[in-house]
Amino acid sequence: MAYVLGFEKVSKASLQTVGGKNASLGEMLKAGIRVPPGFAITTDSYLELITAAGIAGEIQDILAPVNPDDVASLDDASARIQTLIANAPLPPAIARAVEEHYCRLCEQCCVDDLPVAVRSSATAEDLPNASFAGQQDTYLWIKGIDSVNQMAQKCWASLFTARAISYRMKMNFPHDKVLISVGVQKMVNSRTSGVMFTINPLNGDPSKVVVEGSWGFGEAVVSGAVTPDKYVVDKVCNEVNERTISTKVIECVYEPGEGVVHRDVPSDRQTIPCLENRELMELVRVARLIEDHYERPMDIEWAIDRDLSFPDNVFIVQSRPETIWSQKKDDAPKLGRKNSYELLMEKALNPVRINR
Amino acid sequence: MPEKRRFPYGREVQVPKEMEGWEEMYPAHRLFSTERQEWEDNQFWYADKIHAPDPMVPLDEVFHQAWQIALSQYTTRVFCIPPAQGVAQRMLGCYMYICAIAPPPENVIREKAELFPKRVFPVFDNYQELWDQWLNRQQKLGQELKSLKIPKELPRYVPDFDSRTTVPDVTPAQDLLEAFNNAVNIIYRAWHYHFAYLNVTYLAYLMFTDVAHKLFPGISESAIGKMVAGAEVSMFRPEEELCRLSRLAYGHPRVANILKSDRPAARKIESLREFDDGLMWLESMDEIKDPWFYVSCGSGWFHYEGSWINKLDVPFSYIKGYLERLDRGERIERSLEAMSTAREAMINDYRKLIKSGEDRQSFDDAFRNTRTIYRYAEDHLFWVEHWFHTIWFEKMREFGNVFVKHGVLKDTEDFFMFNRLEIPYLIEDLTTSWALGENIPTLKWSEKAAKRKKILEAASKWQAPPALGVPPEVVAEPFTVMLWGVTTERVNDWLDGAVPKTGEVNEIKGFASSAGCIEGKARVLKLLDEITTLEQDEIMVVPNTNPAWAPVFSKIKAAVTDIGGITSHAAIVCREYGVPSVTGTGRATQLIKTGDWVQVDGDRGIVTILKRKNGSA
Repeated sequence: MAYVLGFEKVSKASLQTVGGKNASLGEMLKAGIRVPPGFAITTDSYLELITAAGIAGEIQDILAPVNPDDVASLDDASARIQTLIANAPLPPAIARAVEEHYCRLCEQCCVDDLPVAVRSSATAEDLPNASFAGQQDTYLWIKGIDSVNQMAQKCWASLFTARAISYRMKMNFPHDKVLISVGVQKMVNSRTSGVMFTINPLNGDPSKVVVEGSWGFGEAVVSGAVTPDKYVVDKVCNEVNERTISTKVIECVYEPGEGVVHRDVPSDRQTIPCLENRELMELVRVARLIEDHYERPMDIEWAIDRDLSFPDNVFIVQSRPETIWSQKKDDAPKLGRKNSYELLMEKALNPVRINR
Repeated sequence: MPEKRRFPYGREVQVPKEMEGWEEMYPAHRLFSTERQEWEDNQFWYADKIHAPDPMVPLDEVFHQAWQIALSQYTTRVFCIPPAQGVAQRMLGCYMYICAIAPPPENVIREKAELFPKRVFPVFDNYQELWDQWLNRQQKLGQELKSLKIPKELPRYVPDFDSRTTVPDVTPAQDLLEAFNNAVNIIYRAWHYHFAYLNVTYLAYLMFTDVAHKLFPGISESAIGKMVAGAEVSMFRPEEELCRLSRLAYGHPRVANILKSDRPAARKIESLREFDDGLMWLESMDEIKDPWFYVSCGSGWFHYEGSWINKLDVPFSYIKGYLERLDRGERIERSLEAMSTAREAMINDYRKLIKSGEDRQSFDDAFRNTRTIYRYAEDHLFWVEHWFHTIWFEKMREFGNVFVKHGVLKDTEDFFMFNRLEIPYLIEDLTTSWALGENIPTLKWSEKAAKRKKILEAASKWQAPPALGVPPEVVAEPFTVMLWGVTTERVNDWLDGAVPKTGEVNEIKGFASSAGCIEGKARVLKLLDEITTLEQDEIMVVPNTNPAWAPVFSKIKAAVTDIGGITSHAAIVCREYGVPSVTGTGRATQLIKTGDWVQVDGDRGIVTILKRKNGSA
């Protein structure tokens, strides 16, 4: 039993102790896909917290009379349980383990009080109709061990939002069968970020990786404030077939004390490519790994970190199945079964056109 | 209806006054003429910047005369590619214009469609054996040309003969004429051989390109080139032989030291003759000289380019470079095995991306067939344009020497100033003067040669129009796109503007032949002799390259060529070395000057002059 496990130590097999999100981060690392470093606070920590504080029975008692259709009773129960969990004293063994891992992470990134993301990772979330585990929370830009611990407890508490309680009751899923783990992960301090597709979503060309990126965090691109640079790379022979450098006038950056803010990109940086060639190639390499891992075209969020040096700075933030092209369900054979003589005859009969 | 946009007709083009008389250099049937005006006006002609980028030297035009017939007939009369017809040529102001003929009437297409599969498919099934036959035949023909006896002079009196028993034979006058006629017959024949399988090869390549585009809509020409182009072809042997000779020398320090010195090749050979190891090395070189030193220092199309065999300083400078690399502990040979493994892995990666099993099988089939024959595209190049042309040029110089000896020409090279139909006149004029007796004048051929050199010089400064006549709706001829790269875009670019003057153009388009984008200082090399001026990490701008240039690729940052598609030598070698390249730009060597700061975008096929040496941008 471990209270805390580094991402490099978790895998699909540890789903029950670290939850779906953390387990998949561990799987990605194993496949050679670089994700921001961090660790999982296991479900054992959660159980130990509940046990040590002696609140398990109390939680059951609060839940017993709740009517899932009665919003007021749900809200009341939710608030009371969340307070119980958030205020329960953290057992010293757990606190030590978290602190140890957090300090190591700070050292690794050479940043004191390293900003991290603290997220819940439920054991049931990757099941079919997974959303029932709930609307657990994500806390960004958390700095210092005390805040990390505090947010971890908030994550645990989020297992009992009104919505999660109601959903489980309606689906007849026992409350005590859904456990929760917490992931603590370095906040990527994005110098450049963007998305990439392992298929060209415009024409379905499976031999391409299409990369779009801009300065700073991805928000500027997502919100449409910036036209990103675009690269189309042949993933087999690693040739860049298309390189369109846009004028990138706005970027999102993290300002301590203010959080993530939009600001103007200085003019000397507006028209220069947001990716170095080696970074682009590293992204393409990783895109192929991810596609091979999931065995389908993928849509991948990535970022290049300011705090680390190449290649440790090239991170995958998230990946999901590609949907733009894949939804077209264009699975019909492009050629069909033809022998080379049929193909040759076809070509020989078909004049080369110069269209005007 | 508005008149179609068109280029000037051939008959409308005015040439500068200094070029007056240019028509005399070329046979009449190769010029635009009023007799064929209607037909000529209706064709679309474009300047062949691939094979004839420079003003056409009259005797060097013989290859073009031969290929007009050879290329066209293998399409129309031999392999019968249904909608395709041949490629016609015309000379205008010393430049050659070519035109792909529009498809024939429907009934002809149907007839050819019957013949095509019967004649073409078996070639693929039997290519290995056919290639062996082809090579054997080609080598025999080359030997025939090589062993052609050309009198060294017309002697004052023919040698003694036994007039008791022997009827007098013909004299060297007749030998000279016959030898030339035979040489012309042989070169025409060689050019027939050249096209034996080239049309079919290109058709297979275009077929595979179609297949690849259907499966991978955005796949680049360069990626397709990487898949089909082979490295184990004849074109690469000369370089391999140099590596082998360098290794051999490396094992014998005294030999190596001589070869590494800065003396001319002739002096090095003298020194090597003085000791056993040196003699052994020279013998080893002599063994492979024919054919592997019969490689042109240029494209093989022009007599003035020279070949290794008559410019030994070129291969010797490479050997010097290789020895220096061996001293540094570097590997000089290309690993054919590693290259072939890498290529297999690449093909496999592409095929794994094909979802449908049927598609994958069709891809495999198409690929296998294309690969079988594609090596022809590179093999024939060595055996015709390099080996054969080298022999031809050497032979022509033997003729030239006879004329110099008898004072009809001042310089051996002047012989090339006369076309192959005129040369029989020269020979007859010379032999007549010899036969008639003493002090009989010939026409002033030497003056004519001098005048023609001036015309050619003026022509090289003249900006010939890129195209003539009305652009077509349909081009069915597979060579047009593949070899000359005449695309919609290119034609429209031409139509859109008069060709800007040198010095005004800052962007030059060509084939995206080897990926990557890089900036650097340009070094324009018109001839291989200038290669010694090339500095480390420069961007090489050249008319074209061939294996004679191979050793420079590890030195340069990028390569730009005037001539050559995505499977040209420069393209193949650049991809191998990971050096960006743009090929087939047409006139990069005219537009770029040494010292210009240029960007080579091998991803898009664009060369940009960022800053000119003289300061303007």
